[in-house]
Amino acid sequence: MIREGIQEALKLLLRLDTSVIDAATRSLWVSIVAVVVASAVGIAIGLVLARKRFTGRSVVVVAFRVGMSVPTVLIGLLCFGLLSRRGALGEFELLYTTWAIVLGEFFLALPIVVTLTHGAITRLDRRVFETAITLGAGVIQRAMTYLREARLAIMLAVLTAFSRCFTELGIAMMVGGNISGRTRTLTTATALETARGEFASGVAMSLILLTIALLVTLSIALLSRATAEAES
Amino acid sequence: MTPPAESACRPAITLSNLTVTKGEQIICQVTNATIARGSTVGMTGPNGSGKSTLLRVLAGLETDFAGSVRIDIPIADRVFVHQSPYLFSGTVLENVEYGLKARSVSKFARRELAERWLAHFGIGHLADRSARSLSGGEGRRTALARACVLEPELLLLDEPLADLDAAGADFVAQALKELSGSTILLSSPTPLSQNLTESTINLTGTSSHKRISE
Repeated sequence: MIREGIQEALKLLLRLDTSVIDAATRSLWVSIVAVVVASAVGIAIGLVLARKRFTGRSVVVVAFRVGMSVPTVLIGLLCFGLLSRRGALGEFELLYTTWAIVLGEFFLALPIVVTLTHGAITRLDRRVFETAITLGAGVIQRAMTYLREARLAIMLAVLTAFSRCFTELGIAMMVGGNISGRTRTLTTATALETARGEFASGVAMSLILLTIALLVTLSIALLSRATAEAES
Repeated sequence: MTPPAESACRPAITLSNLTVTKGEQIICQVTNATIARGSTVGMTGPNGSGKSTLLRVLAGLETDFAGSVRIDIPIADRVFVHQSPYLFSGTVLENVEYGLKARSVSKFARRELAERWLAHFGIGHLADRSARSLSGGEGRRTALARACVLEPELLLLDEPLADLDAAGADFVAQALKELSGSTILLSSPTPLSQNLTESTINLTGTSSHKRISE
């Protein structure tokens, strides 16, 4: 059955089946936008948490760390509450749009980027901070220096967040609604096609998902090795 | 504001009953010491005698100490070079320009100053090399050039001659002479050449107590 599914899937992919390409493109777009925004915010937060001493800092660090393991359905549920008609963001009417999925995936990616960036900056050699300070670097120059020195580990954080967003199902299903041509992503399409008995379509979607996930994982592995070599 | 003549007469550094402890252990103790402005002072003593700690205190990197430390030089004019200097990723030139960039020196002037100081240290030919690909001695000379290019009022060098061959040490000695207005403190576990320093402070240490004597 799986073999037939794979054969059928390859046919769908080779003839560039519209529904498959549409879901794949949307999945990529949503994940990239969510991760880009989460990275812009999360890298800054991670940097501040690593370098600034303030009351409650460790509580914030732990909160973000816990946030990494929050199930996607729970994030989906919270976003649903926020975006529903009576929710805080209800007036924007974003529920069941791709922007709703972007918002949910932003909350999924943010703790990952913050926690891994915080770890990357904290692990930097103490001499990086001291050298920048003693040479008179201002706040911005110091921040750019720390990010540059930890860039491989930070890229790893971003890729990890992307990998998590790209393969998640709960958020896309709950706040996207799996609407054909509007909010259907690779994961929601896979779930739907399999439930409908369209196994080949499901496998085709999964193959694309798997290929992209494998590429990201490969990049993470290569970056991890480069990071380990740079730190040794 | 203090008149320039009076300021020049005042010692740059005055230490009194300085004690730095880590846990129960005293890692640096100085009873009394004064260092004249514009002088080049060597600081010798065995490993673990507190040389690096004292330099870190003077650089403002170590703030947990007891006693009195009076430094008549603003912290922005003090530059410290680690015993094993850290070079940022990027080229040698970028490293040497780093502090100048922080001081908003124009790109053209930055390049000119950096190239001049790289030449002083005999590593002008390495300007475009990746800082991470340098040998220990080349890296040290790059770090020293990066500090000297700023012509700081107080230059604190932790074992600057380690990893250097005789030629490298000569380059350092000559380069430091270019910093005529700076107060320079350099540490070494072995006696320093009189060609390099005007006076020497000896830090002696025992397992539980370290003191300084001039």
